[in-house]
Amino acid sequence: MKSAGGEPSAAFPELALQIGLTLNRLRAAAAVEVGCSRKEPVWSCGKTILYRYAPLSAARRSAPLLICFALVNRPYVLDLQPDRSLVRRLLEAGLDVYLIDWGNPEDADRHTDLPQYIEQHLAGSVAHIRGGHGGAPLNLLGVCQGGVLSLCYAARHPQAVANLITLTTPIDFHTPDNLLSKWVRQVDTALLERCGNVPGELLNSLFLALMPLRLAQQKYVRLLTSQPDQRTIEDFVRMEKWIFDSPPQNAAALAQFVRWFYQENRLVRDTLSIEGARVSLRDIRQPLLNLYAREDHIVPPSASRALGDHIGSADYTGREVATGHIGMYVSRAAGAEVPSRIISWLSERS
Amino acid sequence: MQSSGSSPFFKPEEAYATAAEGFFELMKSFGMSAGKATDWTSLAAPLASQFERWLQMSQAAAPWFPARGATPFAFGAAPAGFGSLPMGPAVAQGGQLPRSFELLGRLAHLQGELARHWSEIATTAAQRFIARLGNMPSAPATPQEALKLYELWVNCAEEAYGATVHKEEFGRLQAELTNTFTGLVAEQRQQAETLVRGFGLPTRNEVDALHAQLKELREQVIQLSRTPRGSPVQEPLSRPAAPERATNPPTGKKPPAAPARPGKRRPPTARAKASTRAKAPRRPRR
Repeated sequence: MKSAGGEPSAAFPELALQIGLTLNRLRAAAAVEVGCSRKEPVWSCGKTILYRYAPLSAARRSAPLLICFALVNRPYVLDLQPDRSLVRRLLEAGLDVYLIDWGNPEDADRHTDLPQYIEQHLAGSVAHIRGGHGGAPLNLLGVCQGGVLSLCYAARHPQAVANLITLTTPIDFHTPDNLLSKWVRQVDTALLERCGNVPGELLNSLFLALMPLRLAQQKYVRLLTSQPDQRTIEDFVRMEKWIFDSPPQNAAALAQFVRWFYQENRLVRDTLSIEGARVSLRDIRQPLLNLYAREDHIVPPSASRALGDHIGSADYTGREVATGHIGMYVSRAAGAEVPSRIISWLSERS
Repeated sequence: MQSSGSSPFFKPEEAYATAAEGFFELMKSFGMSAGKATDWTSLAAPLASQFERWLQMSQAAAPWFPARGATPFAFGAAPAGFGSLPMGPAVAQGGQLPRSFELLGRLAHLQGELARHWSEIATTAAQRFIARLGNMPSAPATPQEALKLYELWVNCAEEAYGATVHKEEFGRLQAELTNTFTGLVAEQRQQAETLVRGFGLPTRNEVDALHAQLKELREQVIQLSRTPRGSPVQEPLSRPAAPERATNPPTGKKPPAAPARPGKRRPPTARAKASTRAKAPRRPRR
């Protein structure tokens, strides 16, 4: 452990004391648990597991809701702890919630590509859920990159999806404020794919490099003067745990995602095809709720906002939430706004 | 409860201690300047140098390359499969070594370019900060004041960083660094393959080729199941020609056979006739 002392710490003795206290609390919180709602695996395909959450209240008469999370992070951020859980709010509203966990790809999975994820893993999950609900279409909630996969699926299988919700989902990858896109625009994806799976830590450092001082230092410095209690520290550590818990990325799927979307912007240019079949956002005719974050540094709001201009649905609702990318799932403000918007929007359409 | 992966980079205590250290280092600089009758301009150089060092360290500490080696990868990090490059003569075979050296040289050049950007960002950040400090009379007296000053510094630094990293030139550099590094990893793999082949073991290239073959077959099966059977492209060559009026649905299922009407038979089409002819038993040769 490095010393946090020095002359200025002597000038602010209360700060030096506070550092010692916070370090002890951080140590005590190291084993904090993440994920809080009870769920059961109900179907699987490769490393992908479909979970069904145990109900928390009387079921509503509405279609089941399937959450399709991103491949680049773990989905438990949607159910981090009881007072910061989108899943829990949806369950309390009586929704029947399912979640896709893409798992932890190994080197042998490096050839698993986007068409397989969409047409086998996601489609298989949908088929399983519909099979248990008399074949009726379900409601699909796509989060971030999972939103892109959900849009592709819904465009190809409109009969399977009753209502579609996208959360912090990029559509137009070439807006001028998309830093990630600028950095990967000229990456050789064929070479990247040849090198095998990409470690999660690499993606993490890429995300941190978008705003390095804010994301790698400022949040810790703020702990210096805020005098956090043990509970606040545990909340903080849960988030840290999630941020640094990134699965490796399958080489084939990642290379395709970068090429198709970040480099060629195929969704907006209407040039995407999967397994030889065209995928057009114009074919999305079901009601769509699109929620995006105002201060999102990973998916700028301009990248999400574009969705309304490209889908075929006449029932489109786009809403900006005053938070950041991760704040959309865990911040106190978004924790109240996001679930209530989803629940009321769905109830108006069921 | 969810079982989370245990990332080696999840070290909140260490990150906190490092951040505190950086914060105090910054406060020390403020204090030193305040001692010189609040001449904030003298703060610019040490501040810029501190930030430049931090930018370099935060990149070099990343796990893309395990040791220092002056090879900070643009985006930061990657362990294991993207680890150190065994470039020794025991590993390199044939003409692969010159290519590796060429790529290493290219990488060093690009890192020099990156360092130039870090320097520019750090200088701009410090200048912005000094300009915004304006007529502030003295160094911070309370932790709250110190934090306020720190927040101002972070804003200035992020603005300077953002202004540079959004430039097309920087994006191109990042991509070039990525491509050069992945090129080196590919070279490393190739060298390992040469060794493996020498022992008669299956190589990754061979496994990948098998996988590509399987994938192609799978795609053909999907296509076959989708296309109407009447399509001449999909018909195996050995099978007799399909009737012209075939209207199989895309599912690949056969349409139900039309019920036979007594006393009213359809005349066979020309192709069906040909097909019948083809199926006629051969006469034994005499």
